[in-house]
Amino acid sequence: MSGEGADLPALPRLAGALRRGVSALAAGMAYLAGWNYIACALFITADVLGRNLLGVSSAATVEVTGYMLAGGIAWALAHALTRGAHIRVDVWVNRLPLRLRAVLHLLALLLLGAFAFFCAWAAWSLVDESLLFDAHDNSALRVPLAVPQGVWFFGLAAFCLAVLVLAAEGASLLLVGRPAEVDRLLGPRTVDDEAAEALEAAAMAREAAEGRGPA
Amino acid sequence: MIAVVVLLLLLGVSLAVAAAGGQEVPVGAILALTAVFVVFFGAGVHVAAVLGLLGVLVGLVFSDRPWWDFAGQTLWGPSSNFVLVAVPLFLLMGDILLRAGLSDRLYRALNLWLNRLPGGLLHTNIASCAMFSAISGSSVATAATMGSVALPYFTGTGYSRRMVLGSLAAGGALGNLIPPGITFIVYGLITETSVGALYVAALLPGLLVTGLFVLVILAHGLARPTERPAPVPFALKLRALADLLPTLALMLLVLGSIYAGWATPTEAAALGAVGAAVFAAFEGKLSFRLLNASAEATARNTALLGLIVLAAYLLNYVLTTVNVPQTLAAFMADLPLPPWAVMACILALYLALGTFMEGFSMIITTVPVVFPIVTALGYDPIWFGVVVTMLVEIAQISPPDGTVMYVLQGMRRDGGPITDMFAGVLPFLAAYLVAVTLLMVFPELALWLPRAWG
Amino acid sequence: QMPTSLPPGPKVSIVSVTQPLPTQPQFTRVDMPYLRDMLRERSGGRIEGTVASHAERNLSGTELVRLVRSGQADIGASTLTTLSGDVPIMDGVDLAGLAPGIGTARRIADAMMPVVNRDLERFGTRLVIIYPFPAQVVFCRQPFASLADLRGRKVRTFGNSLVDLVNSLGAQPVSIGFPEVYSALERGVVDCAVTGTGSGVAARWPEVTTHISNLPVSWALAGYMVNINWWNRQDPQVRAFLEGTFKEMSDKLWELGDAATRDGIDCAIGKAEGCRIHTLAARPMTEVNGTDADRAQLREILEKTVLPGFVKRCGARCGEVFNQTVAPLARVRFGG
Ligand code: NA
Ligand code: NA
Repeated sequence: MSGEGADLPALPRLAGALRRGVSALAAGMAYLAGWNYIACALFITADVLGRNLLGVSSAATVEVTGYMLAGGIAWALAHALTRGAHIRVDVWVNRLPLRLRAVLHLLALLLLGAFAFFCAWAAWSLVDESLLFDAHDNSALRVPLAVPQGVWFFGLAAFCLAVLVLAAEGASLLLVGRPAEVDRLLGPRTVDDEAAEALEAAAMAREAAEGRGPA
Repeated sequence: MIAVVVLLLLLGVSLAVAAAGGQEVPVGAILALTAVFVVFFGAGVHVAAVLGLLGVLVGLVFSDRPWWDFAGQTLWGPSSNFVLVAVPLFLLMGDILLRAGLSDRLYRALNLWLNRLPGGLLHTNIASCAMFSAISGSSVATAATMGSVALPYFTGTGYSRRMVLGSLAAGGALGNLIPPGITFIVYGLITETSVGALYVAALLPGLLVTGLFVLVILAHGLARPTERPAPVPFALKLRALADLLPTLALMLLVLGSIYAGWATPTEAAALGAVGAAVFAAFEGKLSFRLLNASAEATARNTALLGLIVLAAYLLNYVLTTVNVPQTLAAFMADLPLPPWAVMACILALYLALGTFMEGFSMIITTVPVVFPIVTALGYDPIWFGVVVTMLVEIAQISPPDGTVMYVLQGMRRDGGPITDMFAGVLPFLAAYLVAVTLLMVFPELALWLPRAWG
Repeated sequence: QMPTSLPPGPKVSIVSVTQPLPTQPQFTRVDMPYLRDMLRERSGGRIEGTVASHAERNLSGTELVRLVRSGQADIGASTLTTLSGDVPIMDGVDLAGLAPGIGTARRIADAMMPVVNRDLERFGTRLVIIYPFPAQVVFCRQPFASLADLRGRKVRTFGNSLVDLVNSLGAQPVSIGFPEVYSALERGVVDCAVTGTGSGVAARWPEVTTHISNLPVSWALAGYMVNINWWNRQDPQVRAFLEGTFKEMSDKLWELGDAATRDGIDCAIGKAEGCRIHTLAARPMTEVNGTDADRAQLREILEKTVLPGFVKRCGARCGEVFNQTVAPLARVRFGG
């Protein structure tokens, strides 16, 4: 992604800057979501140990870890999008001519956006309803449902925002006649991207193996 | 394409029967929806968007209820379901094991034992995946973990690319079948069956499928012999077994905690993740950087599965409010066919759905509908759980859509097309189908062990 | 009672979402016959009803008020404790230890219905029937002779008032979803679990537990709600027809709750002649008789812990409502 866009008109450049900003935000949220899963594993483990060894249990593990899952999913959606991780069946698309392909990428993104907006709207209605009911869960903690549902809604809203800025950049690139760059932005991740990602994990593993020294 | 043809055929049959029964069927609308579905997939629309928007469309066209006023609750339910917490936990465990180099050790140790068989390294793919499956409950995690370990071993070798990818995808597709497995947890949740019994029942079928995979590779290896590596001293081989210990210990932790009555199957996934981190710490590999990277990967992969689950639930809810599953179930139950034929129809339906549907969303959408039919026909719920899990695994590796294949494709460094994967996985797919058929004919394969267990 | 006919008029279609599982006797013996078959027959085909259980609609039961409120279903039913997260006053109808017998439970339910409806009407719904599931009793995988023996054991519970009760007994409440309870009992993740006599038998708990108490700790009261807008839109004749139907269903459901309580125990302990509604357990359990000491202890815990806990969750107003409406029937007052 480096060095790109130097010769681009102002509009797509601005959209690109915006998208990069939102991507950074989305990445931050995804890391939080991931650490939330680590916390979840520790919480459940503590509950299992507490129950079997000490005879104590939080009596809210089921509910609270459920909320952690909901928050975790929602908060990482935008990041998964900017990383091109959401699953598409793109076998046929990638055989089409570039210009058509670029349009279809944008169309796919807009349809995903439509679904994302529906989800976010539905989530907001749910929060609103929980506020009206002043609803609490039935766990020992009596968590006000609007809180975890609000956190969940925030993640879905961020997902909508990510779709919007990505679509804005794609549309502006299409407008100035750069279908190749649309393909690069919205299309399946290039071999380089994929390699980088797969290698990162494998490299860490190999590093670990080498660090062990000769067996 | 096969999927579409089969679906249209099924649609045709059900329309004919419904018409004969004098019911009014909105043929045009159903065909239009099917067309929209096909065009969406063809145009590369995201799977979640296709399912979700299909739900919205079906709702707008067929429902007279304000279903959208309940959509928030429909989406919140699965998002916050405790049982599904097992998904990120199994992914987390796999990622930690991968990054700490423990899966690499597993692979190398098995390799020393297997690489002189006809088919060589390909056997290691299956064996290491099978071992990993016994600690991880997720096919995606199994394929992702063992795939990133195994792929580098094949660079610059004469192995058929297709077989390499196919064997890894097939190995990944053992992840749910060999206990523990998320599919069993979800199936147990929906049908109120004992997950412990499901795990026991899946042991023999899991070994059966693994065995069939080995046969596929042997056949391939005999037909296309590769150079055999030099033999390794036996002492070295023995010493390599020590590298299997962490995996065996985790297996004991995850499955043992369930059978000892310390943890529910969902909780066992958390114990596995923490146990993996503890092993990484023993090795001196546990660091903030490792956990941070694992956190990101887990969050990303859970999000992509989560979005599909949300969409599947929405579609499921709308279809239920317009009585599609109920009608289908009644139709199936009233078919003038013997039970085994109805069961064969159900399995065919699963295979058809599985070609383009995500395994996880498939089980969530279909089991609530199909399960009552199956039990009414007199089939054993435990047996059906094992068969459904096998079908879900088949769905994960049946082209054109399967998460396991996507994950592996995402890891390749040679930039080849995904069609390599599609071609490579076919012989293994055939082996899986043979296993399902055997289970149909000899249900005891699944039922004998739980009964003997007590 | 349910009228035998309905004058002709425009068609009415009614969607009902009722019991947790389609196999429950409340579903097969009341909902299906009344809300589907008899509605159609006696209305001369004017009313067309569809009935589904929570499981078929993929619902957990907690969201039923919202389901009816949003017009997904015209009639919805769920247990009051599961709904109490949305409408806390509902918990007060069915506190642990409140009604020792089914007669008291019904009198309390009748008295509380208008009170609960004042809260529910804010959300566009109204209760039309309150009915009992079989008495909630303790199932254990080890012998016990009294409630006091549960001290130190892990007990699967649901709902706040049962958690308070189990805590007061010196036992450890564990929250596990109903579907996981079978495995949990099988493997000893929990030692005991509380549910309706018949519900436990239906979930095959006799396979994984050995002792069943016959002391009702509560009744798992549940209610049918209607969407008020929908209700008000109906032709008065249809409303009268439905009111009669609800009245008759209510009587049937109380009869069933009473019969199913004993039937569930008889099926669990392998007494074939008493087991007509549920299926007979292959491995008979031992029945543990409730003692006077148990009843006294239950009473004391209700007064000292369960009732104050309810008022704390629900607010001071609920304490007043309880004292006005329930106290004269149950002879327990909040605040002494
Ligand atoms: Na597994
Ligand atoms: Na597939």
